Amino acid sequence: MTTDNIDVESIILSCSGLKKSFMGVTAVNGATFDVPRGLITALIGPNGAGKTTVVNMLSGMMKSDEGTMHIGFTDVTNWPDYKIASMGLMRTFQLSRELSGLSVLENLLVAPRVQAGESLFNIFFRPGRTKREEGDNIERAIGILKTYGLYDLRDNRANALSGGQKKLLEIARGVMANPAILLLDEPMAGVNPALIDQIGEYIIDLKNQGMTILMIEHNLNIVEKICDHVIVLAEGRTLATGRLSELRANEAVIRAYLGEVINAGPQS
Amino acid sequence: MSYYIYTLFFFFFVYFILAMGLNIQFGQTGILNFAYIGFVAVGAYVTGATSLPASNTGIGTGQHYILGMNLPFPFNLLMGGIVASVLAVFVSFIALRRLRTDYLAMVLISLSLVLYDIINNFVPLFNGPDGLYNIPEPMVGVFHLTSNQFVGFFAAVTGLISLILWWFMSRITKSPLGRTFRAIRDDPGVASALGKNVIKYQLISMIIGAFFAGIGGGLIIQFGSSFNTSAWLPGETFVVFAVIIVGGVGNNLGMLVGSLLVETLLVHLPAFLPDIPGHTGLIQYIDAMLIGILLWVMLWFRPQGMVPEKVPTTEKLLKKFGRFQEPETISSTTTQTASTEVTQ
Repeated sequence: MTTDNIDVESIILSCSGLKKSFMGVTAVNGATFDVPRGLITALIGPNGAGKTTVVNMLSGMMKSDEGTMHIGFTDVTNWPDYKIASMGLMRTFQLSRELSGLSVLENLLVAPRVQAGESLFNIFFRPGRTKREEGDNIERAIGILKTYGLYDLRDNRANALSGGQKKLLEIARGVMANPAILLLDEPMAGVNPALIDQIGEYIIDLKNQGMTILMIEHNLNIVEKICDHVIVLAEGRTLATGRLSELRANEAVIRAYLGEVINAGPQS
Repeated sequence: MSYYIYTLFFFFFVYFILAMGLNIQFGQTGILNFAYIGFVAVGAYVTGATSLPASNTGIGTGQHYILGMNLPFPFNLLMGGIVASVLAVFVSFIALRRLRTDYLAMVLISLSLVLYDIINNFVPLFNGPDGLYNIPEPMVGVFHLTSNQFVGFFAAVTGLISLILWWFMSRITKSPLGRTFRAIRDDPGVASALGKNVIKYQLISMIIGAFFAGIGGGLIIQFGSSFNTSAWLPGETFVVFAVIIVGGVGNNLGMLVGSLLVETLLVHLPAFLPDIPGHTGLIQYIDAMLIGILLWVMLWFRPQGMVPEKVPTTEKLLKKFGRFQEPETISSTTTQTASTEVTQ
């Protein structure tokens, strides 16, 4: 049930018939959807709907059993995660995974995808280029830390941060990589209401900078406020897509959220 | 007496080199390389064999080995380092691609046992259990050194090499490459999600570490003119681990301190103590126990080591890369963005 008219050029990320099961338990069973370019898309669904598994497959951390994935027009089905990241898709994790032994600033500095200083040859034979690039990265990282209110913590080890700060660091690290698509896995889970609004504003800012966002989110109020497009997953299948206001009237979606028996097939 | 002091200095420098090599693998990249001593041994054998003439000619008479090519110092040493690195490539291709942490460690410890058995039993390779001997003392002819002078001279050469390698290693650990290594150590999944090819970087780290191991081994065989399997029982790896854990995992300077405390003062100094009457060899067993106790005490009370790893401060990085601004300008930009900061 595609309720809006997305034309092919504006689709930046799509998957079709994604399936994944763990030891016989089917987690994702034919998820099919498109993510429009330059918008904020929410991936919602009851617990166990397979949202995180879908994100894991899209980001290449998990191989799918069946189905295809495309970034733009490139088939990236079952590419390893670092290659998908190099296509410009960056993800965050549901439980923050900070690089604990690195400082907050260094956590950001790791993120740029291609760095001259990561090659032994450049370190010893092109020190000027390495130095210039690293200097630029440090300045950009400081700018991002200031935006996300982490500047005062810049020299702390990342494992010394609070839960909310770690959430912000996850997003900041993703932004530092300057991706085309940012996958946020529950960016607002376990975060106080004031910070939820703040993160919402950050996400809108990123959209205004031209980034495409796909976020898993349970808080429908925030989804209504900031998301342009919503994909509903239930039992590993795409149940519906569209604007949240339209989906609120969709009976299958209501039933899925109320936890009733769902036998609706993929309708997209 | 001076002979003993020079020997202590020599082992201090060599274990500094060895510890730096294991530190980049384990301390920086998180690869639990329990086969480290195997790379040291390969470096030693190759350095020794390449400095000898072809097997069964000249001073090599009576020994069986491959790679006899009469290379002068330091080319034989470089060969030792390079061959150890090549071995690291093979090992990495087999082990790193599929295995992580504990399982990788188990495969690597079996690898060092296999390597040990092969070299010990396959005589044509490196003369079996007798090992290589009569290795030419480097540069003795050039400077007309007596064998007592050679000990001091070679300790100094080793010190110089260790300083060069320290510079080399510092450049790597302070670069973005070193930072990526540490990111992989902390969470390989995140590093991979950030677009880092984890296996590639682990391979690079293994190669650099193995090169250091090979150089260290090469220096050991040239210092003593001989090397056999009793010198590198697989358990020797844990002495190097003790050095880096006592010194401070992840910190190159810590390797210097660890080498002094563990290798020089605990392993080698007691070897020069007179025997306890009636208990020949007791000292060396007490010594081994002391190392174990020290390791246990360190891990319990000071797991970060004597010189803990430091994270570079923003100011230091800005200065290093020539982007440091006066504090006024920085504080004014801070107040501008303060409104967007989150109160928690």
